[in-house]
Amino acid sequence: MLLGIDVGGTHTDAVAIDIGDAPAVAASCKVPTRHHDLLSSVTEALTTILGQVDKSAVTQLNLSTTLSTNAIVQNKTEDVGVIVSAGPGIDPHNFMPCKDFHVIDGSIDHRGNEVRALSTRQLAEAVDACRGNGVRVFAAVSKFSTRNPRHENLIRRTVCNCKSVDVCEHADFVTLGHQLGGALNFPRRVATAYFNCAVWRLYNEFATAVEEALDEMGLGHVKVNILKADGGTMPLPQSRTLPVQSIFSGPAASVMGIIALTDIFHDSVILDIGGTTTDIAVFADGAPLIEREGIDIGSHPTLVSALKVHSIGIGGDSAISVVGPEVRVGPNRLGPSVCLGGERVTLTDALNYVGACKVGDVAASRKAVDAYAAARTLTGEKLAQGAVAYAAQAIQDATRALVEEINSKPVYTIHELLEGKKIVPKKVYLMGGPAEAMREELFQRFQLSTEVPANFDVANAIGAALTRTTWELELFADTQRHVLFIPTLSYRENVPSGYDLDDAKRDAVNQLTMQLDSMGVFLKAEDAQITHASSFNMVEGYDRVGRNIRVKCQVRPGVIKTFGEGR
Amino acid sequence: MLKSKNTLGIIFFPAFDWAISPTHPERQERLLYTQDQLREEGLFDIEGISEYKPDVASVEDVERVHFCFPDVPSVATRSHLISAGGAMKAGDLVMEGKTDRAFAMVRPPGHHAMKVVHGSRGFCTINIEAIMIEHIREQYGHKRIAIVDTDCHHGDGTQDIYWHDPDTLFISLHQDGRTLYPGTGFPRDLGGPNAMGRTLNIPLPPNTSDEGFLMAVERIVLPILADFKPDLVINSAGQDNHFSDPITNMNFSAGGYAAMNDMLKPDIAVLEGGYSIQGALPYVNLGICLAMAGVDYSHVREPNYNAERIRQDARTTEYITELCKQLPALYFDPPEFVSRDDSRQGIISGDKFVRHKQIYYDTDGINEVQQESVTLCKQCRGLYKVETRADSGPLCLGVEIPVDACPECRAKGYQTVEDAQIKGTYRYIQLINRLDKEYVRYGF
Ligand SMILES: [Zn+2]
Ligand SMILES: [Zn+2]
Repeated sequence: MLLGIDVGGTHTDAVAIDIGDAPAVAASCKVPTRHHDLLSSVTEALTTILGQVDKSAVTQLNLSTTLSTNAIVQNKTEDVGVIVSAGPGIDPHNFMPCKDFHVIDGSIDHRGNEVRALSTRQLAEAVDACRGNGVRVFAAVSKFSTRNPRHENLIRRTVCNCKSVDVCEHADFVTLGHQLGGALNFPRRVATAYFNCAVWRLYNEFATAVEEALDEMGLGHVKVNILKADGGTMPLPQSRTLPVQSIFSGPAASVMGIIALTDIFHDSVILDIGGTTTDIAVFADGAPLIEREGIDIGSHPTLVSALKVHSIGIGGDSAISVVGPEVRVGPNRLGPSVCLGGERVTLTDALNYVGACKVGDVAASRKAVDAYAAARTLTGEKLAQGAVAYAAQAIQDATRALVEEINSKPVYTIHELLEGKKIVPKKVYLMGGPAEAMREELFQRFQLSTEVPANFDVANAIGAALTRTTWELELFADTQRHVLFIPTLSYRENVPSGYDLDDAKRDAVNQLTMQLDSMGVFLKAEDAQITHASSFNMVEGYDRVGRNIRVKCQVRPGVIKTFGEGR
Repeated sequence: MLKSKNTLGIIFFPAFDWAISPTHPERQERLLYTQDQLREEGLFDIEGISEYKPDVASVEDVERVHFCFPDVPSVATRSHLISAGGAMKAGDLVMEGKTDRAFAMVRPPGHHAMKVVHGSRGFCTINIEAIMIEHIREQYGHKRIAIVDTDCHHGDGTQDIYWHDPDTLFISLHQDGRTLYPGTGFPRDLGGPNAMGRTLNIPLPPNTSDEGFLMAVERIVLPILADFKPDLVINSAGQDNHFSDPITNMNFSAGGYAAMNDMLKPDIAVLEGGYSIQGALPYVNLGICLAMAGVDYSHVREPNYNAERIRQDARTTEYITELCKQLPALYFDPPEFVSRDDSRQGIISGDKFVRHKQIYYDTDGINEVQQESVTLCKQCRGLYKVETRADSGPLCLGVEIPVDACPECRAKGYQTVEDAQIKGTYRYIQLINRLDKEYVRYGF
């Protein structure tokens, strides 16, 4: 039995799934999300579910939470000491994420050579200044640290030079930039390390509370995983040092839900029409697309990888307005729909009016729409139809823009450019509250097969429950310097001159398997996927002096089972 | 977050699967570290700077500019077509107003490719700037265009293509041809009789550093640009003047390149040479991107930069100061064309200007002999004709009816092609008709 909980903006959804030959929903529920006490929402959902299933059969709980996201949005984060070494390039002060930000002289180049040592005097002063401000968590980031982490390691040793791993009198937690991922992007590494520290304490308190609550419920044996924004999970113990990865995992739960509930083979569009927003995702050949670099948190681009999901401010609770001759919907949400006791007419009221659905008090919707329309010399019919048409059109426009943006992404080799596919959606999948009601209108716009799967109302929790653990790593080898480095694992090894691309691919897969194994996740060989592999001859004069090898390896995000028919 | 003053489109095509040979300076590794540096700096996260993918130049895009023999597919690989397509994309971004400026950071380069192409010269096969410029003129109407070639090598291919074009100003700053490939590019080369002064060469002595380059740009190039009033300024941005470049002898720095770009303010830059792939390109290209975008570049510096060690000596400064006094006159007051008894310089014979050329394709080891002629016409820039033979291969013919052709020159163009087909002994014949946008080739 697998449990999935998705803590959303309005509701916390939970499901229990029986994993037999064909997975089946054994129990599901929705409880209100209490943002000031997320744990109580989680435990309430758990209690409800456990009342309907055999507790001892539960083996796993996958949890998607808005905790870190909310902490950042509501500015409830902790002060962080951010210490960087940048060297030449763009002035790092442009990327200052907080007040305790210190740039230390020193530089490492693109191949990982230390060009200039870190100034230990400046470093000591910076650390003292942070301590003076009572800072207890630190981010250490250097440019090109994914090629050589020397400066980051030195910063960490200066911040916390304790023998014990658990207790330090100076610092509670240090994030090293290179451990966040192997991708190159110093400003993003700075921002990601900062946010990882900023939510660290809050997140860890929550993780501990969840573990304690499970213990009390007699679920101490259950393996807990946390959802990431890229459509994978990470085991709770690992998530404690990477809390930033739990940010914006909500849309990922929905997308994984659609994957679990349907059989997607083609280029497709997924529309999750919620209360305040519609999330748009695009699938290529049945696989979800991911953001090329990482998501923005606030105005800061980060390295947090995520499924490519575009949100627009149109949902069931979006208010209707009339501007000149035009009826509009959204982007504001002004309380619930009239049919559910609200004051302002919404898209859901319009859908009620035209007969596309029957939500709450349909008569109240009709009355409010008529009144709102009359005040603007319109008929209720015209207003309601106009609103529904506007919403469908806006969703279609945003979808087209997203597909166009994806199709114009840069490519780097002839192969990718000439054989590189263009995405041409052939099917639309709808989920979320107003999905069924909007289906016909959206079909009219897209003129594509439009499907609303069963269980669409708790698809996000199903997605959370079935999402598998993912991990990725980048291996970088320089045979002239005789070094192999895997940044996320801080793993460094000497390699001989003859080390080549095949060796690197094999090592990357091995390291990935071992890492997952250490997290208690069994990996089948075919689950590890090499997503990038290149080897460049390095030449000095006219002689080859070595190879510059880059390999990226991952467990592709996915679900462990699907509800697809006939399976 | 950083925001750029000018929006900048960057087309990055490092052609990671194309090389002349595994250890050739123009090889797969060439833009690898540049890419690493730009990514690590987070350049594409700056608001206003975006990356675009290149287009692929079509055979017609190439045939609008070049006479390729035997044909385009035989001389140009897909990488060449994408590199040219990358430059075209840069042109489109700016012309369509999608970005204020654009930088095509592409390879392989193109500025040594001449009007006629039998193979590769100086790592270049087709002229990616010229293909971009003529694409712009065909798509968006005829424009006055200034090309400032800041590659260390003389841009002899671009010079050859625009030798007779009065609407294209070509200025090349380069290491003196007496000391470096391709050995050309002297002040006396000013363009054909219909375009005298539209070509200007600024040969700089070896070891010229930032001071000399910036002085030449300020005192020679900028006043000429101000006078010419081009619709577009294009920088043929070769990065091989760098003090660490392995195949040249200049002392320019990344900061100097950025400052020079800041002064030139090109609408479009197209990458050319530059073979110090670790010590220079990452920093020079970053500096140029920032300068084009109008973002502070003062922190961009090579790891081993030492201004004192690369400073030019007093004699160099004196020499360049003198050049700055004399060269502008060649543009502002070009000498009359004198027909000497030297068919290599070109002679006037009847109503035609005739020139004999011998061209060596060093990359491919091909020798070519050409006879080029241009009608001296009062109504238009004249009918262009070239007979060419590579080594002992077959004789080929190229005919170009110019964009402003008068009815007489146009008729003469068609007549020339028809006569050549009936009476000539040409294996391949190509007609470029810019007036009617007609590109035809005969012979298989
Ligand atoms: Zn060059
Ligand atoms: Zn004429």
